[in-house]
Amino acid sequence: MPVWLELVVRVVGVVAAFLVLPLVVGQAEHKVMAHMQGRLGPMYAGGFHGWAQLIADGVKFVQKEDVTPREADRAVFRLAPVVALVPYLLALLVIPLGPNDLVGQPLDIGLFFVLAVVGVGVVAVLMSAWASANKYSLLGGLRGAAQLLGYELPLVLAAASVAMAAGTLSLPGIVEAWRPWWLLWQAPAMLVFFVAGLAEIRRPPFDMPVADSELVFGYMTEYTGLRFAFFLLAEYVGIVVIAALTTVLFLGGWQGPFGDAYLGWLWTLIKVFLVSFVIIWLRVSYPRLREDQLQRLCWLVLVPVALGQLVLTAGVRLAIA
Amino acid sequence: MTTADVLMLALGAVAVGAGALVVTTRHLVRAGLYLVVSLGAVAGIFLVLTAELVAWVQLLIYVGAVVVLLLFAVMLTRAPIGAADDLDRPGWPATLVGGGTGLGLAVLLVDAYRWSTVELPEPGTAERLGTEIFGSWVLPFEVLSVLLLSALVGAIAVSVRIPGRRR
Amino acid sequence: MSERTGLPGEGLAKGLAVTLRTMTRRAHTQQYPDVAPELPPRSRGVIALLEENCTVCMLCARECPDWCIYIDSHKEEVAMPGAARPRQRNVLDRFDIDFSLCMYCGICVEVCPFDALYWSPEFEYAEYDIRDLLHDKTRLGQWVATVPPPPAHDPNGEPSKEEATAARKAAAPATAGQRGAGPEVRIRRPARRPPAGPGSAGNPEASGGREST
Repeated sequence: MPVWLELVVRVVGVVAAFLVLPLVVGQAEHKVMAHMQGRLGPMYAGGFHGWAQLIADGVKFVQKEDVTPREADRAVFRLAPVVALVPYLLALLVIPLGPNDLVGQPLDIGLFFVLAVVGVGVVAVLMSAWASANKYSLLGGLRGAAQLLGYELPLVLAAASVAMAAGTLSLPGIVEAWRPWWLLWQAPAMLVFFVAGLAEIRRPPFDMPVADSELVFGYMTEYTGLRFAFFLLAEYVGIVVIAALTTVLFLGGWQGPFGDAYLGWLWTLIKVFLVSFVIIWLRVSYPRLREDQLQRLCWLVLVPVALGQLVLTAGVRLAIA
Repeated sequence: MTTADVLMLALGAVAVGAGALVVTTRHLVRAGLYLVVSLGAVAGIFLVLTAELVAWVQLLIYVGAVVVLLLFAVMLTRAPIGAADDLDRPGWPATLVGGGTGLGLAVLLVDAYRWSTVELPEPGTAERLGTEIFGSWVLPFEVLSVLLLSALVGAIAVSVRIPGRRR
Repeated sequence: MSERTGLPGEGLAKGLAVTLRTMTRRAHTQQYPDVAPELPPRSRGVIALLEENCTVCMLCARECPDWCIYIDSHKEEVAMPGAARPRQRNVLDRFDIDFSLCMYCGICVEVCPFDALYWSPEFEYAEYDIRDLLHDKTRLGQWVATVPPPPAHDPNGEPSKEEATAARKAAAPATAGQRGAGPEVRIRRPARRPPAGPGSAGNPEASGGREST
């Protein structure tokens, strides 16, 4: 296969995943949330159990007027949704789906790349918050910045623990080094990573920056139409990215009960959807944290646990080696 | 001129241009956003120079954390949307100091290397960087960590509130 | 959670269990436009008019709290062969209920002495123009077909007034001396039509019809 063709195939694959997986997760959220609340959820769009609801939503968003507030900083305001979306697209590029380079772009230090790129998403929050010229947006943005800055630390520390255990920063390398018993001794890191990841993508119960009952819609208050759809899409891609990272780092990625070599992609997808289900489940079950509880959880629980896990991992590594 | 050269020059231009905008723009928050562009371009230069890890660390630490902290602080003040008219910065001394330092460094580097070419080293993977840091550069590394530790302790000492003592 | 005993995180697990359990059960949603809702027989959907029973007594129009019933009528003379003089009869010209005003209190149905008004559970009569919510007597008459039969009497409830009176009348000849029970009933519910009495409610047109206007 010539190089350019391979490149095209990989890029098309990643873009397809970028467009399809969030829709699947979003639809699953609609239905799962509805049934957890004793409802049916969308039933009409597309005929069978409303499967085309999100596509219809997309069409609706495209038709809506694109409003930019008069007082807003136009350039920054318009750029923010793109800045929110692109990091997740880049992150999807390096997450392995299966063995033998079944990945958008194999990268030697993929873990660092993903963490760095996901961290850039904060800038989009601040940009949209400030440029909207709206006090609710600004409040949401400040909350978002404080939250994302804080939770980046446990996220990176937990990821560092598993990287230390695997002895590599490459995501496929980590999956290859993973053994089932890691589920046990990396469990605290997994919990910390998952919770911090939830906070990073601002999902309930960590959605203080958008808290619709307090701040209208936080930093997204002034957005309409396609730009708002971009933010929503970013949220769902964020779920996919965090679920995929949790899968790859802590749940063994493509390692399944049998046939890893040719069924690996299936195991990865199943695990990603299971973790996504848990993310949706948490959203339905728990109320939003208060701002001070949020910071308390981060600095007094997650960071110490992550540091303890680092010490444990280092100890076990030294004992084995 | 290879592709790497072109990329290098373009990224350098972006970095310098965005840096100039940071200090000349009258939009306070936009200055911070230009800083994001500038630091991102520097990360790109690291990439071109095959220092992958350094590039991503640059992105993670500077774009993801430092600039965000900076923007956070600026937004907590009364930063107006649009141009701020009451910015009073002494422009000339800053230009002199900044431009002088930049020119001096540029002259020094150009004079030192002239047209000599250096082979790009092996890609700066995490492993190589680790060997370097914990091999030949272990002393500065440790000194830096002591410095950071003292900064942390200092921050706690400044901010801690002891019950009973006034303040 | 601090003051409760138990494992740490017990509340969190309980919350998750509740939502998961709900998910495995059937949803409560009624898929209304596709599946007709099962309404109880006494649902207050729309008011039906059985025109033949109406004597233009105007009780409903007068009791209506928001005056949404409009009634017009005229008198006709009916010459009965063999009668000493022609009788007068009220003929209903107009009976409109404005459902844009109606608050579905049901007082008109309650007060109607001759069972001319009924509740029907039909509720799908929304209109694009508010003026179309004024239902005239033909429209109100069409709703009669949708009136369900009255629900069966509650086996544990007290017997209906008709049944009680009939039973008492049946027992009356045997115990002629104990007439005291009769007035007691009347005191409990002062009758609007003293001569008719509760016993004659079954055939209203015969006795009460001409007196009420």
